[in-house]
Formats: sequence, C-alpha cells, structure tokens
Amino acid sequence: MLQARTTGAVLRLGFEGSLDWPTLEALRAAVAAASEDDQVRLLALDCASPGDGWPDAKGEWPARLAQRRPAGNHGPGPLPEQDAVRALRGFVKPTLALLDGDVRNIALDLACACDIRLASASATLGDTRVRQGRAAGTGIAYLLPKLIGLSQAMRVLLLGETLCAAEAHRIHLVHEVAPAAAFPARAEALAADIAKLPTRAWAVHKLQVLPQLDMGFEAAMTHSLGVRQTHVIEDRAEGVRAWRERRPPAFTGR
Amino acid sequence: MSDPSALLTEDVPVEGAVEGPAVVRHLILNRPQKLNVLDQDQHARIRDAVGAAEADTSVRAIALSGNGRAFCAGDDLGAAGRSDGPDPLAGRRVALDVGVGPVLLLEAAAALRDCAKPTVALLHGHALGSGYDYSLSCDFRLAAEDVNYGDPRIHRALWAAEAWSYKLPRLLCQAAVAPIAYLGETMDGRAALGRGLVHGVYAAGSDLRQAARPFLEDLAMLPAAAYAATKAALLRGLDGSFEQAVANQTLAESP
Repeated sequence: MLQARTTGAVLRLGFEGSLDWPTLEALRAAVAAASEDDQVRLLALDCASPGDGWPDAKGEWPARLAQRRPAGNHGPGPLPEQDAVRALRGFVKPTLALLDGDVRNIALDLACACDIRLASASATLGDTRVRQGRAAGTGIAYLLPKLIGLSQAMRVLLLGETLCAAEAHRIHLVHEVAPAAAFPARAEALAADIAKLPTRAWAVHKLQVLPQLDMGFEAAMTHSLGVRQTHVIEDRAEGVRAWRERRPPAFTGR
Repeated sequence: MSDPSALLTEDVPVEGAVEGPAVVRHLILNRPQKLNVLDQDQHARIRDAVGAAEADTSVRAIALSGNGRAFCAGDDLGAAGRSDGPDPLAGRRVALDVGVGPVLLLEAAAALRDCAKPTVALLHGHALGSGYDYSLSCDFRLAAEDVNYGDPRIHRALWAAEAWSYKLPRLLCQAAVAPIAYLGETMDGRAALGRGLVHGVYAAGSDLRQAARPFLEDLAMLPAAAYAATKAALLRGLDGSFEQAVANQTLAESP
C-alpha cells in the first residue's frame, strides 16, 4: 500500500508491506499527479521494502495493462514494475530516495531512479533476484552501470550481495550516510533544502543529463543547445538579482 | 572585442625532446581583477588559441590556467552576453528573443576537447561555472589543495549548455552528477581527487604552472601520434559499441 504525506513543497511517498502491483500502480499515479502539481517541488521516496513479495502473488494485474499482458508461460512480465521505474526516472522535479531499513530488489530499482540517495547508517541494500533464479526486468541492468560503473554494478546484480550503507557510499551508490538516530531529521532537512532550489533549473539539468547518457558527443552538444533555447526559467532573474544584491535567492520553482 | 591581453599565451620549452623543438603552451586567463570571469570575447579567444596551438607543430601540450587569485570564477554575469567590440556572433544571430546562446562557449569547449594534443587544466582559487566546464574538456585536471571547484550555478538558477551533462557522467559516473550539478556542491582539491575528477593535488598557494612542470613535461615528451590516436580512440569509444571500437582500432593498426 502506498502512503503519501505533503509537508510544504515536499511530497513524501512510502510503502507499507511489499511492492505489489497495486502499490506500484499507485506510485505511478502519484508521480504523475505530482508532476502536474506546481506546489510540489520535491518528491521524497521512503524506499525500505523487501521487494515485490515474490514468490507470492503480486496482487491484481493492472486493468490498464490488460492489452499488453504477455501471453505464454513466462508469467505476466514486469510491465507495472517498469512503468513505476519509468515514471520516477522521467519525473523532472527533484527526487530524493530515503534508504532506511532493508532496501531490496524493486525497492532498490526505484531508489536508483531517483536523483539523490540518502541512507541511514543502519540501512542495508541489495538485489538478490539472481539468487532466487530471477532476472530483474526493470531496467536496473541499464541504470546501475550508468550510476556506479559496470564493475560495481556486476557485483551488485550478479553476486546478489547485501551492502551496508558505508559500502554503498564507498561505491557511490548513495550520496550521503547519516547516523541512524539522526536520519529522520537529516532526511527532512535535506528534502526542505532541495525543495527551495530553483525547480525548473534542476529539471533542465536533468533533461540534459539523462537523455545524453544515450547520445554521442556531437548529438549531446546539439541537444544541450536545443534544451537551452527552448526552456525559460523564471527563477533565473531572481538568481541574478540576488547575486547582484548579495543576498540569498528566494526561488519560486517556476 | 575587449582587451586582448585578457588571454595570455606563454611557451615553456621542453628540454631533451627528441622530435624537434618542443614547448608547453600555457593559455592564461588574465582578468585577475574580475577573478577571470568569462565573457563572449574570451570564449572566442580560447577557441582560437586552442586552434592555433593545435596547428603549431612545436606545441606538445596545452595548459589552461588563470592569473591572480582564481583559475576562473565562471561567467561574467555583469556582461550578460554582451561584447565590448565587434559582435563575435554577427551573422549568426536570429531575430528572436531567446538570448545570445552559449555558441562561443560550446565551440571553445569543443575545440579543447577535440584537440589531439595533451590538454591540462591547472585549477586554483575559484574554478567554477564555465571555468569548471572548460576543465571537463581537458584530458587532465591538476588542482591546488584549497581550490574551490565545481558548478554552483543551480544556486542562481543558471546552467550551461556546453554538454557538461555528457562529459561528467562519462568522466566519473552518473551518480557523481547529483552532488556536483544538481546540488551545486563545490569541492576542494582533496575531495576532487577522492572523486577521481582531478589527477593531482598541490599544496595550497603553489604556483601551479611551476609545480605542474614535471607533469606537463612528461606529457610533452610522449610520442605525439600515439597520444593523439589513443585519445581519439578513447573519445570515439564513448559513443560506440564494443564491436565498433574493435573494428576502428583494427583499421588504425593496419599498415
């Protein structure tokens, strides 16, 4: 089940229980709604979850995917999982993954689709699907080598190791580790700080970085120029004004 | 065009070179009173100076550095894309209000990245914004311990379009992009070394052009054709498949 809480400009989503299909569908819908909501300037995702609940049933197959459900004896396919990861990765506002407790399999996929990962020192992370005789079909085999390099990605996905937070930080999988007792306060403070940044400028950064992972250099240069010439950021005027007046900027996110 | 002395060139001979006269060419940002901030004219100068260094057979390595207290504090926000003299973009402007565009920065950064010769950024003081962008286009980055290095433009709702977004994930990894570009965190030399973004760190207050001289001379002594071929293969390899890379290298090795 998906849980949602809004504090100021921060939308915080989390899960109760395993990440079954209804929960992933609810996550996808919440991300889509947040994308349209100008008041939301940061999506924080509490990622603690043992995964998709396999080998038990994953709940009701989403009706909207009825026509895409693959036939045959390979099972229903990971389309709801893929759509949830796709929605989160395609969300152009800032996304912050909060890793506290055990973050496993599809929960790690979702964390990897976020921009920033903050971990509690007591968190554990891993992908044990290979040890269950499963191959992740959620895009993680693309995401993880890009995030941390092929060498460490192979270790995580092929060995199915469980990593402690410090090791995840060492291999750049998480950006910051907070002491376990201080984690809730640090998570709220970091979320509030990021929510004050110029949201559209963040989006324009992301609109360059993610597509350009798949481009050649010349195409990337042309793409950057195209993004630059087609995106207007209202906060830019405030940024320059604040710099001239030697004061902190007050961005609106527009 | 603003004062041409805003970019100095200085050739330092390399002793003992076996392939004829050899120098390390220093391109020195020289607006120390403004912490070497960059305007349109300066981008054009850098582009042209890199081109000239590449064409000069005596130049074996190129080092980009700054005079005064900083390598480069970024773009000249006061200039807002203006040029003091003849418009370097005359003939390429369109009559639409979309701003001047980063065309010259793009061209200068591309000239630096595509240069077949070794290129090195020497980073001290502030090395921010467009100055940081230029450093990403160099083959190597050497820094003073106390450098203030990174891309804090997000804190002004500014951003560059010279394809740092292509370069940074490939120089390091995608995860490294978030703190530097999204959060706008800056680093000192040790932190940048820890991230693998710079290749060497010197004591705070060092004269980097002097301190890095052994490194620059080593680069200058390398066989130029082998260096150029290896660099081209590395950069081309970023955009192709393994099979393409192998095929390209087979062709390059063929007599």
